[in-house]
Amino acid sequence: MKEVMEEAVLLFLLLVIYTPDAQGTRYSPPGKPELTRCRSPEKETFTCWWKPGSDGGLPTTHALYYRKENSDTIYECSDYHTAGENSCFFNKNDTSIWVNYNITVVASNALGSTFSDPVDIDVVYIVKPNPPEKVTVTVMELKEWPFLRVSWEPPHKADTRSGWITLIYELRVKLEGDDEWEMHLAGQQKLFNIFSLRSGGTYHVQVRCKPDHGFWSEWSSTSHIEIPDYLHREKSMWILIAVFSAFIFLILTWSLHMSSHSLKHCILPPVPGPKIKGFDKQLLKNGKSEDLLRVLVVSDFPPTTPSNYEDMLVEYLEVYVPQEQEVLLEESKDLHDSCLKFEGSTSDNDSGRVSCDSHTLLMDKCGEAKEEGRQTDQEDSTTEAEAQGQQKDWDQDTLMYANGDILSPEKSSGRVKTWPSVFSPLPQYTLSLPDQTSSLEMAKQHCYSDSLFCPGSTSSYLTHLGNNDNETLGPGSWEICLSNRQPYSHIPQMQTCQQVRSHSDVNISTIARKQEPAGLPLPFFRPTAYVEVQRFDEEDMVVLQSIVSDHGFHEGFPQMLQQEDYSKVKGVDSNNMLLLQTEAMKEDGDGCRCQDQVTNGVTESSCTLSISTTPHKPTAHIHTVVSTQDEMAQPASGYVDTATIFTLPTY
Amino acid sequence: MISDSWSLSLSVFLSLSLTCLCLPVVILLSVLCLGVSSQPITDSQYLFSIAVSRVQNLHLLAQRLFSNFESTLQTDDQHQLNKIFLQDFCNSDYIISPIDKHETQRSSVLKLLSISYRLVESWEFSSRSLTGGSALRNQISPRLSELKTGIQMLITANQDGAEMFPDSTALQLAPYGNFYQSLGDDELLRRNYELLACFKKDMHKVETYLTVAKCRFSPEMNCTL
Repeated sequence: MKEVMEEAVLLFLLLVIYTPDAQGTRYSPPGKPELTRCRSPEKETFTCWWKPGSDGGLPTTHALYYRKENSDTIYECSDYHTAGENSCFFNKNDTSIWVNYNITVVASNALGSTFSDPVDIDVVYIVKPNPPEKVTVTVMELKEWPFLRVSWEPPHKADTRSGWITLIYELRVKLEGDDEWEMHLAGQQKLFNIFSLRSGGTYHVQVRCKPDHGFWSEWSSTSHIEIPDYLHREKSMWILIAVFSAFIFLILTWSLHMSSHSLKHCILPPVPGPKIKGFDKQLLKNGKSEDLLRVLVVSDFPPTTPSNYEDMLVEYLEVYVPQEQEVLLEESKDLHDSCLKFEGSTSDNDSGRVSCDSHTLLMDKCGEAKEEGRQTDQEDSTTEAEAQGQQKDWDQDTLMYANGDILSPEKSSGRVKTWPSVFSPLPQYTLSLPDQTSSLEMAKQHCYSDSLFCPGSTSSYLTHLGNNDNETLGPGSWEICLSNRQPYSHIPQMQTCQQVRSHSDVNISTIARKQEPAGLPLPFFRPTAYVEVQRFDEEDMVVLQSIVSDHGFHEGFPQMLQQEDYSKVKGVDSNNMLLLQTEAMKEDGDGCRCQDQVTNGVTESSCTLSISTTPHKPTAHIHTVVSTQDEMAQPASGYVDTATIFTLPTY
Repeated sequence: MISDSWSLSLSVFLSLSLTCLCLPVVILLSVLCLGVSSQPITDSQYLFSIAVSRVQNLHLLAQRLFSNFESTLQTDDQHQLNKIFLQDFCNSDYIISPIDKHETQRSSVLKLLSISYRLVESWEFSSRSLTGGSALRNQISPRLSELKTGIQMLITANQDGAEMFPDSTALQLAPYGNFYQSLGDDELLRRNYELLACFKKDMHKVETYLTVAKCRFSPEMNCTL
């Protein structure tokens, strides 16, 4: 009990002694000091600074101890005052170069002492000189271009003279109002020139130095200098330069203007574009077929003067198959009487050609109600297609074509819209062959029509041919329309094969679209070499000429114009090509080759006349006789100009 | 402006023509007058300049090697090595060299040159064992050899009858190399650090000595200007 009491008293006493008093001050040993940096200005002496920690409420003293390498002797700093507070200055006697110093600072007060972390230094690597002294800046006049000459002296303590320390210098310059300095490294020289000064400006200049292995000094105090005004000399020169360049510019402009025309031709050569007379691309873009047709119908259509046909060259490929076997291809040039004569041609045994002349069809159809005629025409066409008489069929067909509705928007739908410009110089052959006979009926819709061809007409034409049954019309079959107005010897084989026609229906539209110049959507376009009906010669033979690619006439063919002039439709290959055979092979196939080569595989026993337009078909040669030579020339110009309409010569 | 340019061009032409005419004479005279007497001085100055620049280059290389090595160390290792390095293990410590400006200034040019020579020689072969980039390392030893040759020439040129330090004081370095090989990993690290630090220090010494010697020899060479 007593012991416990004694212990409690002892504890209480201890607490009383060691608890802080009412003011809240607490005495403690000093905090840990910290050596912040050591610097030598000239590699002969150096100074170290430290930052004291908390003093613990008691007066604290600091001491610096150091030890050199190689020895264990501890020295204390001998000079605490020269370099200011919390510093230690090592004089020359105490300083050794290339020797490691281990320095420690000790803070001590009544309660204890605290050692700082030791620091190792080598004087050689802590050199930071004083800034350069006696910086002078002068303006030197060099003719009209003054420059600044800056000169300075090394800091007086640094012994560069004996080579003990080597200093390199750097200076910086700026204009009075600027924020950024322009730095210049001066090396070991104590002189520097600054050029490219702004006249009348005030410059600030500062210099600093660095030993070859050490720290940069502080910047020297700023030196101000004002540049005299030398702008007037600059001005006159600039005025001269401006006048001279203006003069040159005027000359250039004048010369350019003089030769602007030729330059324009040189730089921007005219780009050939599609020219469809009277055709407004904008309308097409608007997508209104009615407007389009109206335009096409109205504008310049039909051409009333023969002299216009240069612009409206529409080539017709008339396939005439005399006697059942021949296909005549003819170009119709004259569009005038197309429709009317077409009707009148019903009695013409020879013709059997229905021209896809837009004029004829349009003329007839424009006055008619499209919708109503369409249905009836279709029926007529179908019925007539089944008719036996070739001629009759053909005539009727032609009639239908003439009277048929131009447009069948439902059927042609998008095709209609794309039709107008479609009639590029491509021969589109529609083959319709009667099953029984070998006569081939080819209607060539080689209509180059720009505005002359009513888009609907063709499609409606196609729809006539088209089947009522919804066969998938292969894109490969051809349909050849005969030129309209002439009293054509109708193709004897008027029994157009339904399928073919139906095929051709689609085909024509597709084919027609092939060469659409204006970039209208063409679903099934396949470029092939086409044959154009050149003319209709005396024997009612349609002479075809193949057209190479999009335009022009095959050059080699004209020679053959007189040599081979018939072609039999051999069949339609899968490439949408009408394979024709020359007459020489006529005897081979009497009548039509009942080839089931309708594309898409719809192979009813329809004799198809194939006119091969590709040159590599040896058996088919197609003559095309140019009805007029000059018309031929035009399409060969290379322009995507579909405005070429050939009118067939009248018979 | 035009008149000024004309005058300028005219003056240039005149000066050129004068130079062309008088050049052979001038050369002859200069050769006669200045050739013999100034030759050794000129040579020494030239040699000094070259030696100083070469040693400066070597010091930079040493610095780069050392900083590269230090950067690969962990911070703990750095602290440790700093402490360890306090004990001087430098190979060249046996070579007594001035360690402050006063001593250096007191030494003669010849002494400085000889000390430099010995320092360079001591590192000529052991520098091959320095760690660091092999590209850097391979350059050091031949450069040291060249520097040694240059210093030798300077010594010869400056002897002028003064006594020469015997070359035999250069110690062999084989024990150093053996000691190096027998170390373990940690020791190896420490040893590399010491080697690099010592090399850097010695190069700086040589640079300082040569610079002081050069300036003392011909003060007009970039020392006072």
